[in-house]
Amino acid sequence: MKSDTAFCFDLDGTVTRKEVLPIIASELGLAEEIGFLTEMTIRGQIPFEMSFRLRCRLLAEIEVDTVARIVEQVPLEDPIAAFIRANPKNCFVVTGNLNVWIARLAADLGCGVFSSSALVRSDGKLGALTHILRKSEPIRELATRFKRIVSIGEGFNDLPMFEEADIGVAYGGVHPPARELVNNSTYVIEDGDTLCRLLNTL
Amino acid sequence: MPLVEHAVIAVAGLGSRLGLGKPKCLVEVAGRRILEWQLELLRDVPDVRLVVGYQEQEVIETAFRLRRNLTLVRNPAYRTTTTQQSYWLGARYLEEPCLYMDGDIIFERESFLAFLESAALHAPLIGITPAKTQQAVFASVVEGPHAPFRSVTSFSRTQQTPWEWANIACLPPGLLEENGRDVFSRLALHLPLRAQSVEAFEVDTEADLAQAEEYARKIRAAS
Repeated sequence: MKSDTAFCFDLDGTVTRKEVLPIIASELGLAEEIGFLTEMTIRGQIPFEMSFRLRCRLLAEIEVDTVARIVEQVPLEDPIAAFIRANPKNCFVVTGNLNVWIARLAADLGCGVFSSSALVRSDGKLGALTHILRKSEPIRELATRFKRIVSIGEGFNDLPMFEEADIGVAYGGVHPPARELVNNSTYVIEDGDTLCRLLNTL
Repeated sequence: MPLVEHAVIAVAGLGSRLGLGKPKCLVEVAGRRILEWQLELLRDVPDVRLVVGYQEQEVIETAFRLRRNLTLVRNPAYRTTTTQQSYWLGARYLEEPCLYMDGDIIFERESFLAFLESAALHAPLIGITPAKTQQAVFASVVEGPHAPFRSVTSFSRTQQTPWEWANIACLPPGLLEENGRDVFSRLALHLPLRAQSVEAFEVDTEADLAQAEEYARKIRAAS
């Protein structure tokens, strides 16, 4: 593993063994609604930004801290989490999820995070969305600091992150990666240990 | 037993000479796809990489069903690139020796495993096999100087010898090149090279397929 390389990981279904939003949704009785939106987004049938705004609206009535605690419990892909913890200066989580929801999880991983952001209202509930992340932005920023960018993801919304990267790894550990992403990838891998072995050789 | 850590199988090509309309690694020989035969032989190699191109979706799905911990390496330019370029892509960034093999070959088990064992300790090592295919790349072979290995001293498409290049080699990093043509032409720059015999049935034509079938059926019957 070279120090001039940045590894950018999608969060849902890549670092986490389950999609974060559906877990939140099922805890809160909104599984069907959120599941539908997530599926449509993974398939690229609705734009990520629209889907994300709708999902945030559905979850806006729940206290942010409740959501953050649920997110903290989401099971991680152990080899990937171990790789990130072993290389915190070179690893970045790039996620459309909200900073206020994933803050605890990110702190646990100890790496850099690029995410969407929102305000928290005085009653502890979700306030206005202040930024919706497009995944190409952090890659461009990191490219000024690192010689080489490796992107790892599984969904259609990871495509901008792959287009800007030097190496794209389509990861199917949780579910098969989106076809479009595979078509823009360098490697396709289904297993967490195999992924980390590859990353260690790059 | 010492092991080769990394193996690259090139399966990106069209297989147009055989003309079955599918990648040759998916062609069945005695009821099993060639890919299955090969992955079975590489069971103890930890890092197996498949370089895919033609009908990659189907190859990827089949490959992961056969073995989950594979690394699939994409070669989208497979129509205009050579096997050497696929090999180069497959082993890119590796800093250790790697076993390279074509994905259209049925290897005889004992000689393959013996090659694998030698390769772990003696890279570069190239595979030779008694000449039999229609488009053989003939190898001039001498005994020694690194006994018990033989050495290949030259390759030729026209000068017939008892041996041909078996399309398998274990090579240190940096020996192949990104835009190279035939693998054997590249190896020719480094001759003489240590060689070991591997019984190999390459499937390029209908006649080759029949030969490979006959061998594979014998193995199946024996097991």
